[in-house]
Amino acid sequence: MMTFDQNAFLIIFTASLIAISCGLLGVFMMLRKMSMTGDAISHAVLPGIVIGFFISGSQRGLEVIIGAGILGIFATLVIDWLRQKARVQLDASIGITFTLLFAIGIILINLLAYKVDLDQECVLYGEIAYLPIDLWISDSGFNFGPRITYLAILNLALVGTFISLLFKELTLTSFDENFSSVMGIPSKGINLALMSMVSYTTVSSFEAVGAILVVALLVVPPSTAFLWTKKLMPLIRLTCGLGIFIAISGYYLAYLVDSSIAGMMVAVSGILFLASVLIQGKKPKFTWELPWNKRRLALEDKQL
Amino acid sequence: MITQVDNPILEIHDLIVSYDQSPVLWNVDLSLPSGKLIGILGPNGAGKSTLIKAIMGLVTPSSGYVKVFDKTLEEVRSQISYVPQRESVDWNFPASVLDVVMMGTYGKLGLFKRPGKKEKDIALSCLDQVGMMSFVNRQISELSGGQQQRVFIARALAQEADLYLMDEPFAGVDMSTETAIFHLLKEMTAKGKTVIVVHHDIHSAMNYFDWIIMLNMHLVASGPNDQVMSEEMLRKTYGGKLNLLTKVTDLIKQKDFNPLKS
Repeated sequence: MMTFDQNAFLIIFTASLIAISCGLLGVFMMLRKMSMTGDAISHAVLPGIVIGFFISGSQRGLEVIIGAGILGIFATLVIDWLRQKARVQLDASIGITFTLLFAIGIILINLLAYKVDLDQECVLYGEIAYLPIDLWISDSGFNFGPRITYLAILNLALVGTFISLLFKELTLTSFDENFSSVMGIPSKGINLALMSMVSYTTVSSFEAVGAILVVALLVVPPSTAFLWTKKLMPLIRLTCGLGIFIAISGYYLAYLVDSSIAGMMVAVSGILFLASVLIQGKKPKFTWELPWNKRRLALEDKQL
Repeated sequence: MITQVDNPILEIHDLIVSYDQSPVLWNVDLSLPSGKLIGILGPNGAGKSTLIKAIMGLVTPSSGYVKVFDKTLEEVRSQISYVPQRESVDWNFPASVLDVVMMGTYGKLGLFKRPGKKEKDIALSCLDQVGMMSFVNRQISELSGGQQQRVFIARALAQEADLYLMDEPFAGVDMSTETAIFHLLKEMTAKGKTVIVVHHDIHSAMNYFDWIIMLNMHLVASGPNDQVMSEEMLRKTYGGKLNLLTKVTDLIKQKDFNPLKS
C-alpha cells in the first residue's frame, strides 16, 4: 500500500491544480462581475451530468462532460435572456435559473435511480480523500496512478492554454464590452467560451471537491487577492498562490481534526478572506464592498 | 432645417430605434460631411447616445440603415473609433493607464496575437497627445474624472481610425481639460478626421463645433453651426422646458460675453 506521505502529496497536488484552474477562471469571472454566474453554472450542470451518465452508463464518460458543458452554456443563456428580454434583475435571474436546473437534476437522479448510481452527497461535497484509491488502470492491467489527478492536470493545461491564447480578449471584454464589440472582437463568443471552460472545470473537479468547493475556489481566492493588489498579473499570481496555500493548509487541518478536506479548504479560504478584509479595511483607498457582497452570497449559497 | 451633403462620410436613412416597443428615435434621416467637428445636442432622453450606438451597431434599429464611407458597418469597423461614457466601465478594474490605451490597438491586432513594441509605441504617442505622459504606469483606479476622460480619448486615438464617435466626453470635466480636449479634436479634424460628439453645453457648442445636429427623439436640425444655431431651433429641440429655455435665450444674448470662459 501507499505510504501516508505519498497520499498526502497526491491529494495536495491535485487540490492545488484544481484551485489554480478555478482561480484563473475566477479572476475573469470576478472582473466581469459574474462570480455568481460561476456559482449558477456549477449547480446547473447537474441535469447534464445525470443525462450524460444515463446515456453513457458511466460516471466517467465523455458524454457526462459534454452534457454538463451544454447545460452550463444553456444556464448562461437563460440568465442573459431573463435579464435582457424579461427585465429580471441579474441576481434574481441567477437564483431562478440555477435552482430550477439543480432541482431538475435532483428529480432526474431520483427518477433514474435504478439506472444511475450517482451520489448526491458526492456531487455536493466531493471526497478528495478517496483520490489515492481511485486508480486509472489500463486494459492490460497497468496502474497509471490516481485518475482524478490526471483529470486535474488535463483541466489545468486546457484552462491555461485557453487563458494565455485569449488573454487580451478576455481582459478587454471584461473591462469594456461595448468597446470590444465596436472593434469587431466577438465579445459574446468569448463570454460563452469562458462559460464553457467554467462548466468543464466544474465537472472535472466535481468528484474531487464537489459543487460547493468549486464555487468557493472560483470566488474566494480572486476576491481575496483583489484586496491586496490592483494590478492584473500580480492578481492572477496571488490567486494561484492562495489556491496552493489553501490546498496545503486545508489538508493538514482536516488531517488534524479528522474532518472533510474540501470543507476545511473552504473554511481556510473564508478565514483568509476575512483577515484580508480586516487588514485592508484600514486603508481607505480600497473599495471592498464588492468582494464582500460576493462573499456574503457565497455564504448564503453554502447554507442552501 | 436639415442640410444633406454630397459624398457623406456618414449616411443615416429613415432610422427608427425602439426599446421595448417604445420608440427612442423616430425617422432620423441625415448625412454628414467629412473632416468636420460635429456636435449632437438635445435634452436628456432625446436619444443622443442611442443614435451613436445605432451608428456603431451596438443597438439594432427597428428600421432604416446606417452607411459609413458608403459601406456597411462590418466592412469599415477598423476605421471607426468610439469613446463611451466614462461611467460605462468600472474604474476599479486592475489595469494601468498604458494597458487601457493599448486596448485601442487590439482591433487591428486580431485574435490570439499579443500586443508588442509597435502597439506600445502607438499607445505612448497617443498618451502624449492628450498630455498624460506622466501617468503611463498609474493604475486607472487612481485617476480623476478628467484624467479618465483623457485616457479614453487616448485609447480611441490608438485605434487610428477616420471617424470618431464620442459619448459625452465633457461630462464632469473641468474647464481647462475641456479646452484642451477641444483643441485636440480641432487638430484631429484639421488632419481630415471626422469627430462626432454628444454634447450638453449649448454655449461651448456654439463656439467649437463646425456642424450641429439637434435631436429630440426626432431630428430637429442638422447643418453648419452658423445656420442651425438659432433661438427657433433651440426652442424646437428643448421646447416645453421653460426654465431651460430662458437660460438658452440668455446664453444667446450674451453669446460672446462670458466672464467665466473668456
